[in-house]
Amino acid sequence: MCPVMMASPILVLLAVGAPVLAGLASMVLPGRRTLARPLVAAVGPVLALVLLTIHLQRHGLSTNGTPTDALAWVPSLHLDVSFLVDGLGTFFALLIAGVGVLVVLYSRAFFGPDDTALARFLPTLGFFTSAMLGIVLADHLLLTVLFWEMTSISSFLLIGWDRDDPEAGRRALQAFVTTGLGGLSLLGGVLLLGGTTDLWRWSEVIGGAATLDPSGAVAASFALMFAGAAAKSAQWPLHDWLPGAMRAPTPVSAYLHSATMVKAGVFLVGRMLPVFGVLAAWVPLVTAIGTSTMILGAVLALRQHDLKRIFAYTTVSQLGLLIATYGMGGATTSHGDPAIDWDLTQIANHALYKAPLFLVAGALGVLAGAKRLPDLFGLWRRSRSGTRASLLVLLLAGYALAGGPGTLSFVAKELFFDAVRHAADGRPVLALVGAGGVIAAACNVAIFVRLATTILGRGPGLRSDEAPNAPTNSGPITDRWSILLWLPAALLVALQYVGGLLPPVWNAAARPLEVNRHAEAFADGLPWPWEPFLHPGLPLLLSAIAIVGGTALGLSPRLRGERIDPHSGLWPAAYRGILRGGHRAFHSVQTGHLRLYLTVVFGALLLGIGWAAWINPDMLSTPDSMSPLESPTGLLLGAVVCSTAIALPLVEERVVRVLVLGASGFAVVGLYILYQAPDLALTQLMFEIISVILFLLVLRLLPPLDRRPQVRVLPRLALASVVGLSIGWMTLLAGHAAEQRASDTPTLGTFFEDHSLEGSVITNGRGGEGRNIVNVILVDFRGFDTLGEITVLATAALGVWSMLPSRRWLRDEPVQSATTEDGP
Amino acid sequence: MTTVLAVCVAVLVTVSIYLMLSRELKSVAMGVFVLGHGANLAIIAMSGSPVLPGGGLRNPPILGSSDLVDALPQALILTAIVINFAVMGFLLTLLIVTARRTGTLNVDELATLGRSNPGPEGDDR
Repeated sequence: MCPVMMASPILVLLAVGAPVLAGLASMVLPGRRTLARPLVAAVGPVLALVLLTIHLQRHGLSTNGTPTDALAWVPSLHLDVSFLVDGLGTFFALLIAGVGVLVVLYSRAFFGPDDTALARFLPTLGFFTSAMLGIVLADHLLLTVLFWEMTSISSFLLIGWDRDDPEAGRRALQAFVTTGLGGLSLLGGVLLLGGTTDLWRWSEVIGGAATLDPSGAVAASFALMFAGAAAKSAQWPLHDWLPGAMRAPTPVSAYLHSATMVKAGVFLVGRMLPVFGVLAAWVPLVTAIGTSTMILGAVLALRQHDLKRIFAYTTVSQLGLLIATYGMGGATTSHGDPAIDWDLTQIANHALYKAPLFLVAGALGVLAGAKRLPDLFGLWRRSRSGTRASLLVLLLAGYALAGGPGTLSFVAKELFFDAVRHAADGRPVLALVGAGGVIAAACNVAIFVRLATTILGRGPGLRSDEAPNAPTNSGPITDRWSILLWLPAALLVALQYVGGLLPPVWNAAARPLEVNRHAEAFADGLPWPWEPFLHPGLPLLLSAIAIVGGTALGLSPRLRGERIDPHSGLWPAAYRGILRGGHRAFHSVQTGHLRLYLTVVFGALLLGIGWAAWINPDMLSTPDSMSPLESPTGLLLGAVVCSTAIALPLVEERVVRVLVLGASGFAVVGLYILYQAPDLALTQLMFEIISVILFLLVLRLLPPLDRRPQVRVLPRLALASVVGLSIGWMTLLAGHAAEQRASDTPTLGTFFEDHSLEGSVITNGRGGEGRNIVNVILVDFRGFDTLGEITVLATAALGVWSMLPSRRWLRDEPVQSATTEDGP
Repeated sequence: MTTVLAVCVAVLVTVSIYLMLSRELKSVAMGVFVLGHGANLAIIAMSGSPVLPGGGLRNPPILGSSDLVDALPQALILTAIVINFAVMGFLLTLLIVTARRTGTLNVDELATLGRSNPGPEGDDR
């Protein structure tokens, strides 16, 4: 590769763009290519992994605060393409690209031999993967927002994947609006932060975190950005979109709504921790939201029967735990900065059991038609090898969900409780987070116990093709690639047990990325699985309570029925409210009554003039010299203009009315002559003649004047005369100011006068070459303006021509018989 | 002279708004034309009075003599006159089409015509 390609921003840009490019490439493959398509699409994330590895070898991990290289994009907006490849970002990028490869392969088995579905699905998934990589690697704040919105859009497309399912469309809209509003909030926070501090990159913001004024704008931007993160990561009370998003195909649920996209909020909170962790609001706000979400999600997960919904609510719970963990980071420090130990392992732990759970839940739907807990009853005994492999993975991942000893999840729970203990040293109230963690962990254990007892229980002895709720029309669509239904999940869940049983392997892999690992119990890395039992402490005790309590809860007949999340009514109510409110607002403003519109327009004009007079009371003082008598001709012409204008509304005969209108116009022409404007006078004269003739012709085609009583005169006259007097007063002031101006004051008028014929230094020596200044202005100085004027004229002519296409109806009867001719 | 013009502008604007607030679309159209005159006069007033303090008049904005009036307002108005004319032609055509299609030029009746179509209801889709 040439040296330019190896530059840091270009390398990362290529890595970010690879998945979407590969996805598009897979789409354009000709013919039926059910195997080639996923393979081509999988090249994208693989390439991203390779490029990131090259980047790490060439440039190393950037540490917080070191400036990053950038490609200029829109320099005037401080916008450039720069990437921050630090521990947090790299970890997320590896997670996204790694799970991305597996999900692409899984989608081959999930969609079966449906080639068109694959051709449509893979590019969208690639788009999402690229957007997600962009979020976690972007250094520029606005770049983060850009990719953030791209994930919202791709999530919308993927949730609404089934075009024939109206519910999927509704859920896609809900997810899009919720996360989109969060994105807006994030944008507001970013603009506020960048605008007040003039720091536009994460590397600068993190490096300059100590210099930030922890009040006012910075605190507000933290609140806005956290709202964005909370919406994306489905935090209470905005969490309802995530269970709803389970309408998406399972590869989407596994990838977007457990392993990656919902983690974007967690990632953002992790990014913000070094910057905003010192704020007084950080710990209470972030831990309170996180903990309440954690408990709520866990309790709701217990009361679901649909497999994907169970896992969706446990995801909500786990996201709450991760957010709460980062929240506690504000209370603990590492090297003086707010930080949380082993945060990345926590996040990886969740992805490594939740993605397999979703993948296998989808696989069971395909293989056995089982999507709900009751369908699974006794499934182990009555199923064949493929289904059994899936069930085994489900149990292994479920054991990890429960945080059983021997899994990475068990260690992660220890880490979490250890973090709570540290944080609660300074702030005892944070012990509540630990209590919430025990409740959530107990619920997870209970879910695993129920899954296991259901699957291994003695079923009704049906064969797999007679399983209840099996799709009768299609049956399982399987071929030799169906192994991909459970193999990716098995690979992911294997990492859980590697982390749990062989901690040195995990430590070696995670150490370079885990910047924060100073807690004394874990300073040397994750412990061997037996070590916690050799040195029992509070974390082990809490884990034991959770496991024992959860097992009892899981076996007990209590809390088994399905319950609906009380928050699920929020979104429909809000959506209906917005629609109805918009409808009502529209109809209260857009009444169709011209008079109302005009009153609003002129009222606003009056308000503007009044406001101007209020801030500048000089506007109301009478100009010094008012000499109406200086020109008798002018006085006469003015009298004609005024009298004809006043006569206009009084005359009822319409022909006379048009003639009066013409008379008024001709008097105006006279005023132009007096004002030494021959061009104006000529033009106006011409158009006035044409107008009068046109008007008279048109009158013939219009219905006669309505003789019924008119609108009340007084309010009309009042509004009209107030506006008229204000405009007249403005005219007086403006004209008077022009007269009072010293003759040598440079004005635009004198500029045109000086340059009409010959140029000067200002115009690079070029003049207008004409003596009639008005003409030179029109065709030279303001030539484009005149072009616009011609365009208006042509557009109006086109409009007239299009409205009178054939003049057929001028000769014949009206096209549409008038129903309201007689009126009410 | 500016005072005369200011009075003219006040009267023209008052009459035009009065006409525009009426029930007849024909009167509304006339109001729009009259408003054009008023606006043009307001603009030309900004070039100051053409009457010199001595009693004579300034010269038209053509090079070759002294004491020229300001050319810029004139150039602006020239554009405005043409556009005014275009708007008038368009409005008159609209009047004809409206009268032919609906049989009325009454603003209130036209406003209630659209009422027969119910707006979108608060439906989820």
